[in-house]
Amino acid sequence: MAGGRRGPVRVGAALGALLCALHVQAACRDTTVTQELLKEGFHRDLLVKVELGEDAGGCAVAAQMRLPPGIYVDPYELATLQQHNLTKAMLFPDVIDVEAPEYLAEALVLLLFLEPDARCSRCFGAAVPVHARYHRPARGTRQAVVALQSPEVLLCCCHRHLSAECWEPAEVDTPCSSDTNSPCQWHTTKHRPAYEESMLRVPVGLREHSSLVCALTLLTTGLCSGLILAAACKYGHFSQ
Amino acid sequence: MAGASAALLAGLLGRLALVLYGLYQDRTMRVRYTDVDYRVFTDAARLVTEGRSPYRRATYRYTPLLAWLLTPNVFLAEAFGKLLFVAGDLAAAGVAYRALRRRGVAAGRACGCCAAAWLLNPLPMAVSSRGNAEALVALLVLATLHWVEAGSVGKAAVCYGLAVHMKIYPLSYALPIALRLRARPGRGEAALRARGDRAAKVASVARLWHLLVEMLSRDVLLFGTVAGSVLAALTVAFYHLYGWEFLEHAYLYHLTRRDIRHNFSPYFYMLYLTAESKWSFALGLAAFLPQLLLLLVVSIAFYRDLAFSCFLHTAIFVTFNKVCTSQSSQKPAEILTATNSAFCSPEELKPQAGQTNVVVDGVGAKVKLSGQLGPERS
Repeated sequence: MAGGRRGPVRVGAALGALLCALHVQAACRDTTVTQELLKEGFHRDLLVKVELGEDAGGCAVAAQMRLPPGIYVDPYELATLQQHNLTKAMLFPDVIDVEAPEYLAEALVLLLFLEPDARCSRCFGAAVPVHARYHRPARGTRQAVVALQSPEVLLCCCHRHLSAECWEPAEVDTPCSSDTNSPCQWHTTKHRPAYEESMLRVPVGLREHSSLVCALTLLTTGLCSGLILAAACKYGHFSQ
Repeated sequence: MAGASAALLAGLLGRLALVLYGLYQDRTMRVRYTDVDYRVFTDAARLVTEGRSPYRRATYRYTPLLAWLLTPNVFLAEAFGKLLFVAGDLAAAGVAYRALRRRGVAAGRACGCCAAAWLLNPLPMAVSSRGNAEALVALLVLATLHWVEAGSVGKAAVCYGLAVHMKIYPLSYALPIALRLRARPGRGEAALRARGDRAAKVASVARLWHLLVEMLSRDVLLFGTVAGSVLAALTVAFYHLYGWEFLEHAYLYHLTRRDIRHNFSPYFYMLYLTAESKWSFALGLAAFLPQLLLLLVVSIAFYRDLAFSCFLHTAIFVTFNKVCTSQSSQKPAEILTATNSAFCSPEELKPQAGQTNVVVDGVGAKVKLSGQLGPERS
């Protein structure tokens, strides 16, 4: 009897919670993020486009992504682009070994500030040049794959209050604005949208060819040295 | 002299035009005309003006002298360095002209050779106007060869010490220079010839030993002492200023360099595939031995024509090196065009025309091809 009266109450509570959750979901329109690798070869442009679920309203929009050791951003190139006001980005760590191969390099974090896109009112985008590193030679396959995770969208708001259902404060190393006293704070989306990874295929050598390549190289250089030696001995002046 | 002045003026105007065009292209197009290295030099010069070490700039692997020389890039205009390299180019042409006149080439022909092969040659013009520092090293090397031929051993040694400090590769010229100094005409030539007659009867190994022992003549010792002192003084001074970083980046990097990227060397793929294997050291050594052997034999065979011998040295060094970037392939082109030894020599000194030209054309073709494959580093 007691269970009978509590039954409808439980159902009611559950329905209420479900409706509340749905209301929250409905209030937060999804932010979509896409990233694309333009151009061909080892030197690409990484294009990041974001469509916010709601109006940014004066907030700075940025995308934070973790770049695996297989690719890197040249800090000197970035500095030149920033000088010409073409791209604004921050790198952590800011000292990068640009010549290291992939197996000796470290992952880095790129914070890319996005500019408003003319296509739609809530669209933002930016591009940054990236470079692939040389990978180890592989066995059985001619390509190595570098997987880029989807970026995280960050908003830096100083004077606007973002809805707590959609956005939560985020821990970012870079200060939002240069003024430390202002109440500017980084926010990130509570619900990470579904994403697919971007792939960069890097050509690599084949380990199976090692012996053949060594033999041919040493044979060729030996032969060429022999020819030059023969010419030098024939036409050189060895007599006093 | 009117012809020489006209040629110099034409060379200067051509290079200035290219520098101006470079400024235009840098500003308007996405692909820059200026070499990536020039940016590195300028950044390092900026660090020097701030009182810091130029080696804070990644990939700066040159002497601090270059950063110091280019500090006006920061104070005056960024194009100052390019103008300095253009001036170096023209000075190199002047030295080459004087060297040719010394060898007995007629004024008109010497002027024509210098103009065609260096002053109006688009390759050196492009190299200097892009901001590459090779012109300065080429000038120092040519000055060394000129002073050795002229008999001023001290001046030659100073230039040589400076050249080796700036780039390691002139170190290989030490052997032909030493052999040349040992056997300079007019210095006990009769005694040498007499020794030569006797030596011809001795076995070749003993002859080689004879050669090496006789190298320790007064001139060779003077050259070695002065050049060594200049190099040591510069090294100690910069080590005192910049510490281990200087040694690591300016010298050791070039000696132990194993670049598995953007490398035109014939050993590139082999070194890339075996980079982490246990055979890596042995293969590196196997790659070094042909280079060493060829340099030795070529020095002994051709030291009498010092310019030609140095050209062969550079060509062999670059071709058989484990690392060959597009900049390194420009070196033999410069030595060849500047010395013109095979093409502009007076008739009695000309080596057998057909066979030498085959060697020269083969190497020249390889050099031109590498130069055309693009100046960008990555």
